[in-house]
Amino acid sequence: MAIDPAKQLERNARLMELLARTALADQHAFAELYRLTSAHLYAVALRILRESAAAEEVLQESFVSVWNHAGSYVAAKSQPFTWLTSIVRNRCLDQLRRREVDTVTVDDEDEGMALRDEGPTPLELLVSSADARAVKTCVEGLEGGQKQALALAFYRGLSHSELASQLRQPLGTVKSWVRRGLERLKACLEASGMGR
Amino acid sequence: MNYRDPDRADALAAQYVLGTLRGRARDRFVRLLRTDRGLADVVNVWEERLLPFSESLSPIEPPARVWSQIVSRIQPGRSSSTQPASIWADLRLWRGLTLAGFVTAMALAIVLLSPPQRADQALVAVLAGQDARPVLIASVDRTGRTLSIKPVTPLQLDPDRALELWALPQGGAPRSLGLISASGVVQIPLTGPADSALARVPALAVSLEPRGGSPTGLPTGPVLYSGPIQRLF
Repeated sequence: MAIDPAKQLERNARLMELLARTALADQHAFAELYRLTSAHLYAVALRILRESAAAEEVLQESFVSVWNHAGSYVAAKSQPFTWLTSIVRNRCLDQLRRREVDTVTVDDEDEGMALRDEGPTPLELLVSSADARAVKTCVEGLEGGQKQALALAFYRGLSHSELASQLRQPLGTVKSWVRRGLERLKACLEASGMGR
Repeated sequence: MNYRDPDRADALAAQYVLGTLRGRARDRFVRLLRTDRGLADVVNVWEERLLPFSESLSPIEPPARVWSQIVSRIQPGRSSSTQPASIWADLRLWRGLTLAGFVTAMALAIVLLSPPQRADQALVAVLAGQDARPVLIASVDRTGRTLSIKPVTPLQLDPDRALELWALPQGGAPRSLGLISASGVVQIPLTGPADSALARVPALAVSLEPRGGSPTGLPTGPVLYSGPIQRLF
């Protein structure tokens, strides 16, 4: 199922406009921006943090930050949805880090339960979104380990050492899967016209 | 760690966006990102490559309390130094904002498709009102020093009121560009070539002001129209 480029353009134009109005402290535009994007961004946060209270907190922090910094959004540099997603993801990663400091660990038991609840696995998500972006061959072109490592790192926010224990591989192996996977993905996306 | 090596910078940016750059290495990278425009550009490219992969996630409605908490945090005690007067925020006029952004996109498409008269490099903004219908089109050649702004259709305006055009600089207060006409084309002189005069201005807006324009140098009336500046080059 491919994303309709006209719809995408329409959505991006709409989000840019809402961000510009949010920069003017227009609360109605901000409310509309929240209405259009929050469910998606919440799903991103929930996947990574796997705890609704933490995901809610990140969503709240992110939108307060959007309200305060909408003026710094530069349309020419990134797509509005990308900009919003990056704010949420970076805050999620900060949360994970605080958890690491608090030495909260995720055991395999939790893992299984959460995965059952959240539907498609990271790998399935990677493949289906590649399909939607018409870059399926780029994901298919990755080796199995590379694909797994990238999907888990991206959708679940796993670090190199968490990847190593999850995939039961030496740290050096997963690091190289991630590095080579990214290089290969870049080359393929560039060749298909996505990302300079 | 040498961030000046382009391959190294690219690899770190990739891991930063993917999320595998952690701990102190991430902190160092974030600090550098704030000042190194080149590195920020590399990160932007990686974000455009990777972040759309999150679009396959099924949306999940957050609980309603998230929005009420956001609202309670953004309303009290907004700083008056960087934010316009409160009337600027009190935009009951925006009530009934509808989803009609495609009209703006269409208007832009029309602008894009019409060949520019003198150069093929321009800055264009389509300003729309609460119903997202395009109302004004502003344009200037990349190196031009005069911004042309014209209503798509003539506007209603009380004789004791004026329409004032504002640049909305990144992270700063609105800056007046001048008064505009409700019916004809107005040429607004810029402080330099558009490329630099509007370099850090992501959007334009028009507010309703007393005749002669805002007495304070900041918008005092409601925002009637606004739109992002598209850079066609």
